[in-house]
Amino acid sequence: MTTSRRELLVGAGAATGLIYAPAVLANAKPNVVVIGGGAGGATAARYIAKDSEGKLAVTLIEENANYQTCFHSNLFLGGVRDYASIQHGYAGIAKGGVNVIRARATMIERDKKMVLLSNGKRIPYDRLIISPGIDLKYDSVPGWSKAAEEIMPHAWKPGAQTRLLRRKLDAVPNGGTIVMVAPPNPYRCPPGPDERISMMAHALKKAGKTKSKIVVIDPKENFSKQGLFQEGWERHYKGMVEWLGPKVHDGLKSVDPKTGTVVTGFETYKNCALVNVIPAQMAGAIARDSGLANASGFCAINPETMQSSVDPNIFVLGDSSIAGDMPKSAFSANSQAKVAAMHVRAALTGSRAFPARYANTCWSLIDTDDAVKVGGAYEAKDGKITASSTFVSKTGEDAALRKATQAENMGWYAGISTDIFG
Amino acid sequence: MKRRPKMSQKAAILPVILFLSATGPAYAASPKGDKAFGEYLAGECMTCHQKSGKVVGGVPAIVGWPEDQFIAVMDAYRQKDRENEVMRTIAGRFKDDELAALAAYFGSLKPQK
Repeated sequence: MTTSRRELLVGAGAATGLIYAPAVLANAKPNVVVIGGGAGGATAARYIAKDSEGKLAVTLIEENANYQTCFHSNLFLGGVRDYASIQHGYAGIAKGGVNVIRARATMIERDKKMVLLSNGKRIPYDRLIISPGIDLKYDSVPGWSKAAEEIMPHAWKPGAQTRLLRRKLDAVPNGGTIVMVAPPNPYRCPPGPDERISMMAHALKKAGKTKSKIVVIDPKENFSKQGLFQEGWERHYKGMVEWLGPKVHDGLKSVDPKTGTVVTGFETYKNCALVNVIPAQMAGAIARDSGLANASGFCAINPETMQSSVDPNIFVLGDSSIAGDMPKSAFSANSQAKVAAMHVRAALTGSRAFPARYANTCWSLIDTDDAVKVGGAYEAKDGKITASSTFVSKTGEDAALRKATQAENMGWYAGISTDIFG
Repeated sequence: MKRRPKMSQKAAILPVILFLSATGPAYAASPKGDKAFGEYLAGECMTCHQKSGKVVGGVPAIVGWPEDQFIAVMDAYRQKDRENEVMRTIAGRFKDDELAALAAYFGSLKPQK
């Protein structure tokens, strides 16, 4: 549907008091159900409704009234963006012809092609798309737990945790120690922990708390954009960031939320002003509970279509999927959603399908007007999603280029938000 | 992708050739590019560029351009004459017919005020 026609339809609906609700109007239409209203699911629902032009009944199941983006939540932490600017509602998606149901999907009955909801309802599907994001492995950090996240927040699933981490960051005294426990691979947003370190340092510096220190206990020997971040920390936050790899810290032994202690094989950090635990991760519960995840905790997919390797009627998008060379990012999920949307429409309406093509770029802000990026183009090859070309910012780039990269970052956020939520 | 022709926009911008595709139903295309294909490919662009033509930050509007200019700019990224690694990567894998399809699609859109 073109924008002009959509506007006409919405305008007509508003004028007559009608709400466009395809699921009610057309029982005979094939049912497409989408679980999860984030970057993957909301994009898929919106594109299928838009491009199928009323031939399919599209339902989006999402637990929350609003979506707070994980992308740019570090900019909220750093005081660069306000919280309202990273929140989005579902009105635009509903206007686009998607039946948005606010509930939690609790189970998929794959043999009956039925989704069970927390409100007791059962929703039938012809094709199902799931994009449930990640769940946290609370037992992956000794001493930490679901209850402990109130004291040592993860803020790796957006919402109340993001605001809690910001409040705790704001309360760190000058000279206080912050410890970040970084996650093992694979995890959501590869450059996310290090952008977060940058934005925490930015907030501390801005508040004049330059005697504070951020210690990073990383289980990985290397991390995304490492040279770029380390150059940036040296340039902007000299003496404030201490990144330690496993050869140095000799493993995280335990944390104690009661005393604010972090014990590693190398050193014990006591009375920490803030501990940010980012644990190991796995696919969202609905994917695991429905038998779609393998032993890795994530879901294998057909790289040509994003269909589950174990159930061709189900497509798995975003962080829950095993997407080969693509990182777990909102950009990736949005890109995968368009491939899945095309194949769902082709299967149910006979529309044209083209070879899958994927793309990703992750921008990271290090300090005001100093942003870097990493990205690539991807295709289905050798049984997985494979990078056909990649790029990454270079160390030593001039200030003008870094500023332009940040302008691009802000433009991307506006673009992808509109693409996802309408 | 089955698309019905959007006559009002087309009449204003391009001469239209209607024909039957190999897959069946009629869809519209410009003389140069397959617009329906272009609309699919454009999904990749929409992650950053806005269909409305709205400009935020450093991401420019790409709707309503003359098709020849659109192709020339994309080709400059493809040839690595123009700077910007994101655009070089995106443009780098488009073949000529794909650029023509994108140019036809984006050329048919009007910036919204």
